[in-house]
Amino acid sequence: MTATAGPATAEQKHRKLALGRFTRPALGILLPLALAAGWEAVVHFHLANGRLVPPPSVVYATFAELADAGELQRHTLATLARVAAGFGFGVVAGTLLGALAGYSTLARRLFDPSLQGLRAVPSIAWIPLFILWLGIFETSKVVLIAVGVFFPVYLGVVGAVRSVDRKIVEVGRLFRLSGVGMVRRILLPAVLPTYVIALRSGLGLGWMFVIAAEFMGASEGLGFLLIDGQQLGKPAEIVAAIVAFAVLGKITDWILVGVTTPFLRWEDRARSEES
Amino acid sequence: MLEIQGIGKTYPNGVRALDGITLDVKPGEIVAIVGGSGCGKSTLLRAISGLDTPSQGRVLIDGEQVTQPHEKIGMIFQEPRLLPWLTVADNVGFGLEHRPRRERDRLAAAALVRVGLADKAKAWPRELSGGQAQRVAIARALVPQPEVLLLDEPFSALDAFTRADLQDHLLDLWADLRPILILVTHDVDEAVVLADRIMVMRPQPGRIYEEIASDLPRPRDRQSAAFDFVKRRVLAALDRSLAKPATVDDTQTTSSEGAALWW
Repeated sequence: MTATAGPATAEQKHRKLALGRFTRPALGILLPLALAAGWEAVVHFHLANGRLVPPPSVVYATFAELADAGELQRHTLATLARVAAGFGFGVVAGTLLGALAGYSTLARRLFDPSLQGLRAVPSIAWIPLFILWLGIFETSKVVLIAVGVFFPVYLGVVGAVRSVDRKIVEVGRLFRLSGVGMVRRILLPAVLPTYVIALRSGLGLGWMFVIAAEFMGASEGLGFLLIDGQQLGKPAEIVAAIVAFAVLGKITDWILVGVTTPFLRWEDRARSEES
Repeated sequence: MLEIQGIGKTYPNGVRALDGITLDVKPGEIVAIVGGSGCGKSTLLRAISGLDTPSQGRVLIDGEQVTQPHEKIGMIFQEPRLLPWLTVADNVGFGLEHRPRRERDRLAAAALVRVGLADKAKAWPRELSGGQAQRVAIARALVPQPEVLLLDEPFSALDAFTRADLQDHLLDLWADLRPILILVTHDVDEAVVLADRIMVMRPQPGRIYEEIASDLPRPRDRQSAAFDFVKRRVLAALDRSLAKPATVDDTQTTSSEGAALWW
């Protein structure tokens, strides 16, 4: 009975998946689209003046204007570069210290409490100190972002390394893997799924902290656009910058997931659908 | 030749798990270790494998002392313990990392054919049934051609039909190179089907209580009278081993220190 039911359901499932490829993203975009269209209509029919909450058409025009002047590209690149540098440093530090603390009990006892203590400090509180130490320019910004990225990555790696299944490690021991072999062939693949999640939350925090960093005095960047829009009373510019953040955040996360997915195909997931 | 000389194991919490286990196994021999739960069967196997260090005594393979996992000793656990991030073929080739890629692939493919899973070479472990996964684990353990293969209740998580099938299959594979098999089980049928010698263990502390030799011709008929006879002997020995808590007619050498701990 299952034999006859098998192929039919498989085919149905396939068709459903093919259809889902188009309907699923569409479903997600429905709500923001409806809200935008609604607000556009409200302003268009003069039910509200839309001066403080600009309608989508005005935001779009601002976008086009900024893009034509090359401003959009300049600010976006500046912000992207900061996030990339901060994310890079944060990930490297978080991964190394996390792996060390997860692997060695001595190391964990030695510096994990201090790091947990530092983690309790809201990272924005470091801004004044970083400016005093590192100046107002790029260094302090990148360091702040790196600090923000560091903690989720560190915590994720420590937890992942510590929870590697003893039974799997024993398989490595039975085949007499060296320390390096154990790390490369057992520990790294075992921690990868958790690591990807840690990287994603790290990246999210990176985007959060870049704004804080750019608020503390920048001459370019999307955070600068936000402040600029506020000071010059241009809400459309603020909304444009916010939309740019949303798009960039989503795209970078999507790239991260896309790059790592091929390494995680083995995972036995209850829901194979991508987030 | 595998020599187990006076192995004892006391856990850090003071529990005496094994006491004075001595056993010599000739090449090609199949030894089954049976006993009630908690009699130290698995502890013994882990000590032989080098995963755990015994508190007393030593294990020698071809005269060489085993202090950590040894290339001549392979092991199969109750769970397949496949690495979920490797394909079935790469799992089988896991112990051959030092060989060239091409040779490794060839050996792994041949081993998969041997266990009847050639079509699963590119599958992920999660896509296998329990019996298939255990067959992959057997292939992985046998590919490096160990002289000793330790099996810790290897089929106990499988249904009866798959279990009987895999027991026959294991004998089939064993016949290729005739490694020593040491099989821990709580399934008396399994012990009688597979083993040349059946060691009945007694708990607290774990000791060998009785040794039953079995020279039934292979392949063994699970329904034959001779099979039944051996099985009854093992069951009777098991009964006796459990009925009398570690006491009086101690034919085995006794470490008084261990006994003191138990009393």
